[in-house]
Amino acid sequence: MAIATTELKAQIIESLNLQDITPDQIEDDAPLFGAGLGLDSIDALELVVMLEKNYGIVIKDIEEGRPAFRSVRTLAEFIAARRSTS
Amino acid sequence: MTERFPVITGVGIIAAPGCGMDQIWPAIGGGQTGLKPLTLFRSPRYGQLPVGEISTDLTELGAPLHGSRSDKLAWIAAREAIHSAQLDTRSGGERTGVLLGSSVGGTYDSERFLTALIKQKKMFARPTRFHECSSPVDLVADSFGLFGPSFAISTACSSGALALATAAELIQSGQADVMLAGGTDSLSHTTWAGFHSLLLVDLQGCRPFDAARGGMSFGEGAAVLVLEAEAHARQRGATILARLTGWGASCDAHHVTAPHPEGAGALAAMQAALRRAGLSPSEIGYVNAHGTGTRDNDLAEGKALKSLFGGDVPPFSSTKRLFGHALAASGAIEAVVCIEALRRQELPPNPGFTQPDPIIGLTPVTELRPAKLQHVMSNSFGFGGNNAVLIFSTPDTVPRTRPTPNLSVIVTGLGVIAPEKGVLTERPIQPPLPPAVVKVRACGPLTDVATLTPNQRRRLSRITQMAILAARRSHEPDATKRLAVALGTGFGCLEEGAIFIENLMTKDEAEPMPTRFPGSVHNAPAGQVAIDLGACGLNSAPTMGEISFESALWQAMNQIATGEADEALAGAVDELNKYPLSIGQRWGYWNDQTVPGEAAVIANLASSASNRPALARVTALRLGRYRQPFHAADEADWIAAAVDLTKIDLVVSGAKGSPALEAHYLAVVAELSRRAGRPLTHHTYKQDCGEFYSASAIGFALAVTLAREQRRNVLLYTLSLRSGKALCYIEP
Repeated sequence: MAIATTELKAQIIESLNLQDITPDQIEDDAPLFGAGLGLDSIDALELVVMLEKNYGIVIKDIEEGRPAFRSVRTLAEFIAARRSTS
Repeated sequence: MTERFPVITGVGIIAAPGCGMDQIWPAIGGGQTGLKPLTLFRSPRYGQLPVGEISTDLTELGAPLHGSRSDKLAWIAAREAIHSAQLDTRSGGERTGVLLGSSVGGTYDSERFLTALIKQKKMFARPTRFHECSSPVDLVADSFGLFGPSFAISTACSSGALALATAAELIQSGQADVMLAGGTDSLSHTTWAGFHSLLLVDLQGCRPFDAARGGMSFGEGAAVLVLEAEAHARQRGATILARLTGWGASCDAHHVTAPHPEGAGALAAMQAALRRAGLSPSEIGYVNAHGTGTRDNDLAEGKALKSLFGGDVPPFSSTKRLFGHALAASGAIEAVVCIEALRRQELPPNPGFTQPDPIIGLTPVTELRPAKLQHVMSNSFGFGGNNAVLIFSTPDTVPRTRPTPNLSVIVTGLGVIAPEKGVLTERPIQPPLPPAVVKVRACGPLTDVATLTPNQRRRLSRITQMAILAARRSHEPDATKRLAVALGTGFGCLEEGAIFIENLMTKDEAEPMPTRFPGSVHNAPAGQVAIDLGACGLNSAPTMGEISFESALWQAMNQIATGEADEALAGAVDELNKYPLSIGQRWGYWNDQTVPGEAAVIANLASSASNRPALARVTALRLGRYRQPFHAADEADWIAAAVDLTKIDLVVSGAKGSPALEAHYLAVVAELSRRAGRPLTHHTYKQDCGEFYSASAIGFALAVTLAREQRRNVLLYTLSLRSGKALCYIEP
């Protein structure tokens, strides 16, 4: 089941406390880390917490999450794939 | 003047493999792990992973009944160190100080208080008396009758090494003849959950430098060295075990948890230590690596080792799988390992290593083996990119001579964020504490908060934002200048820490907080100031109750005096928080005179020889501990040893705060007036800013202003409730 990227963007904004950003300012394919939103390794860990809290997906090694954290779209696809296998 | 080379005349150690080197060295030689399943507390989410836990009952080892677990570990190691140095602490206590690294402090014991409060709605506040990271220093100094310069350093995993380096500086500068120095940290649920939230723990136990390594393992313990001026040691006929010939500190100024990817800060600290020792890299025979076993740390350290030593990296090993990572104690524990390696002329192995990592391209020592060792190096790196490196040498080494530093600096800028004069606000106390309202003196909204970057605004807690803004107000950026930062704090980042622990206790580890954990350590403000200003020099977070600011000022002044930095930021920061408000109210500590406050104050210091316009000069600073019962005459003698009493015009003191210290302050000012032959004007500041550990930083800002505006010589004199004292002399 695909998940709405708008909802996911709102969850990212909440979990990372991105105070000045609205969901429509984040493009589906824009990089989340590095230049994009200026996120770093600590934010990746916050996303790990968010995935477990909101979707029940547990990540124990950050390397496992790295490909998923490229953009909002890759994250949505990762969530959908994990949910269908579990 | 005779050289004041620091030598080691005694060591004491307690850690998972045992108590004392006689128990520990055989374990090192065996190349085994010292890690066992966790039993100290229950962890529903992570289970009984392997840790370096001390299973012996600490009171059976003679530790005092009262005190935190970290306090007791420090006491046990200190007792052994004093015994092995055959140090008679009954004579000469005035010239002997205590300097310990601690980052956990009494957190483990405060967790018992919080569990009872949250789960049973009961308030047993007694364990929180030992919450501060300076508590082990107070216990050791009081138990063994030591009255010299004493404070704690809380820079996460580099604390123990930085404490040893700072103790060496105190000896070299003539402030002390003997220092009990090292580090102590117990296991705690908070640090456990914190490192787990960062996904930095190896479920199989740490495997430093191994290709399959997956993170760190926890440990606990304490190690204390007796560091002594060589002439003092020789005069009393003490056996010299080794020399501390080199020490260096640096800051990555890169990221709060990740090391600089090329190990730039680690390299700078190793180079600084070599420079201090007057050695070339090829003279180092062994390196005890930081080697936590995390992917990034070991890789960055490997790169730094290759940058420094080229293709000829000396034998090295990490002993973390034996001890676990005992955080602030690890630098001191590994210093003891290095000294023992020198004494035995043996190389300690690196348990947990089986497969070389092709990306690191280095293989550590895998078996205990004999070696000819004269100089060995010990690395410690911590959160906030905080690096400290020590070099130990054999007793027959002829150390490099250095001039005695002249401890005099100018103040070129001040950044002050303080409560508004005369304004009292009511602060409601929230659950889980019993509801109440406490009158406080609080800093208003941060007017220039909008100048912070979006990442600083969204991620950093208010105390760290206050520190950054105060630092910016004091400092004119100049990329050509080497900048050091020493930022004292009494309680550290209590708001962030309280949110972290409450969440941990109420949700049973269910929702980790990876941003808040590194934001809750005592050196978070200092580390973030360094990142903000690109300050790659020493980065320290000293803590010692009411003299936390003066402890920081000493470190900053010494960095300039020794030429390690061109400029240095010295300051202190503390914030209001419901826990000390509530517990203080219950103990009757807060009243109409004693109102809790908060502030961030930072001074930019430069060399007296520089041509920068100065607000004032700081020409003397002295730290110590006062005796009970308190005698004003003794205090006047102590001040007279550093300052010409006839030249003092004004005294700025910490009076009008805690009533318990009021009579002491008034008696000392009266005695100083008597000896000066004229009444000295007495200024106070706590009636305006409130009572809190960093308040003397406000006193310093007042003293600088008085010196500048009235062209007068000002003595800043501060006492702590737990026997610490400090003087600072400010001239126009």
